[in-house]
Amino acid sequence: MIHLENVSKVYPNGTQAVKNLTLDIADGEFVFIVGPSGAGKSTFLKLLIREEKADSGSIHVNGHNLMTMSRRRVPYLRRTMGIVFQDFRLIDKMTVYDNVAFAMRVTGHSEQTIQKRVPLVLRLVGLGDKSQRKPHELSGGEQQRVSLARAIINKPSLLIADEPTGNIDPERSIEIMRMLFAIHQKGTTVIVVTHEHELVRHFGGRVLSLKNGTVVSDTTLPIRYGAVKNASAQKEAPTS
Amino acid sequence: MKLSGLPYLLKEGFKNIWNNRMMSLASVVVLMSCLIITGTAALISVNVQTLIAGIGDDNEITVYLRPDYSDVDSIALSGSLSAIPNVESCHFRSRTEVLQSYQETLGDNIYAAMQGDGNPFGNEYKIRLHDLSLYEETVRQINALSGVDKVSDRSDIAEKLTRLDYFVTVTGIWVVLVLGIVTLFIIANTIKMTMYARRFEISIMKSVGATNAFVRIPFMVEAMAIGLFSGLIASLALIALYEPIRQAASGIIGMIQNATLPLQNIWLPTLLALSGSGLLIGLLGGMLSVTRYLNKEGGAILGT
Repeated sequence: MIHLENVSKVYPNGTQAVKNLTLDIADGEFVFIVGPSGAGKSTFLKLLIREEKADSGSIHVNGHNLMTMSRRRVPYLRRTMGIVFQDFRLIDKMTVYDNVAFAMRVTGHSEQTIQKRVPLVLRLVGLGDKSQRKPHELSGGEQQRVSLARAIINKPSLLIADEPTGNIDPERSIEIMRMLFAIHQKGTTVIVVTHEHELVRHFGGRVLSLKNGTVVSDTTLPIRYGAVKNASAQKEAPTS
Repeated sequence: MKLSGLPYLLKEGFKNIWNNRMMSLASVVVLMSCLIITGTAALISVNVQTLIAGIGDDNEITVYLRPDYSDVDSIALSGSLSAIPNVESCHFRSRTEVLQSYQETLGDNIYAAMQGDGNPFGNEYKIRLHDLSLYEETVRQINALSGVDKVSDRSDIAEKLTRLDYFVTVTGIWVVLVLGIVTLFIIANTIKMTMYARRFEISIMKSVGATNAFVRIPFMVEAMAIGLFSGLIASLALIALYEPIRQAASGIIGMIQNATLPLQNIWLPTLLALSGSGLLIGLLGGMLSVTRYLNKEGGAILGT
């Protein structure tokens, strides 16, 4: 599903962000990307969503060759993925419902489909009763759940979470991670970029460690299903 | 892009105008002012051209005879004038008739003082020509006749109007160019500000796979609506003011009343031209801004 081979990227200011990066992520995997600041984590994500184009090497994501892909085709690649941002990126003047529906509207879904699917996904992330609230009326954890709902509303096969717990307290972080695992258990490939090693150890999974733009370790910890259990999101089918 | 998303995009475009209402209002006022100035220049030019054409069609000239030239000799001159091949007709106007035509302007006292020997006017002939292209030669032949003081015609007015028309046209072109660039800049800036204010929405749109065309539509709708609205207001203002200004100008120069275009001839072209121009400026300004934004900062999703 994701294949990178000898990928390098140098920014115009001369920073070598990624250097001969080679890795594979299979369909349905749960992968943590860890590493210090400047390790190349953000550039790796930008390459995956084709916000940046690599200087050399080859990148294949969800059946798309990102090195030969024209700019016009990029939106179609992105429709196969969902993104969770560290800063939530919610539109404050919109309700929770509209924030989630927004992702469906901009990809041309009918109002009928939107009205059917949005309440379902909001219930899934435990916000069924808060659909008419504005983002500023919610806690950080709840806002991140809205962001998560928006990321999965279009049923992506790949979910990318960029520091999803960076702006929320530890208890809510566990809640968000449980939801990400619940989504993964339904077959979605999940990539989580994080600084929080504690969370990685708590849940387990494949851990790719980046340093100076390259993979320095690739280990797989057993997923601790005990940690994942009790997730409210686990009770309902998330992306299908 | 699916058509089902179109109503949503149109609604978003109009919502942008309201959310960004102060900047939208400023854009409308500036664009409207520019279009009013441009429209005024165009209307003046069109009317001056009509005026010139009217003067060209009216081939009547006046032959003024010397005040000391006797009435008998003046009447006898009609034979010589008619003998000139290009003269179609000539109509005699006595000095008394000429004075009478000024009675109202002069007032009763002055008019009374000018009766009889006090009459400063000479006799006149109103002459119509067969062929205007022989105008210069015919005037030379008339001037050669005894008793002729001068030949008055409207060619000097026509020349002045032609110069005025040239001035109006050249000024108009510069006005359109300069104000066009200003308005383009204003609209482009409004849209740029809207896009900046909605950068999160744009990054979210792009992250979920919205095409550039889809992202562009609400902003284009906003720009075009501002342009069209400004054009409509500007044309309505010009249409409302046209007839009163024309009447006022006729009070100063009598010939304007008949030689200029009436309102029913200009309202539709004015409405279409100004609304169309507003729409076009909105389209260009919006496109300029949106394309630049999407190709540069609008491409960022995850940020730096």
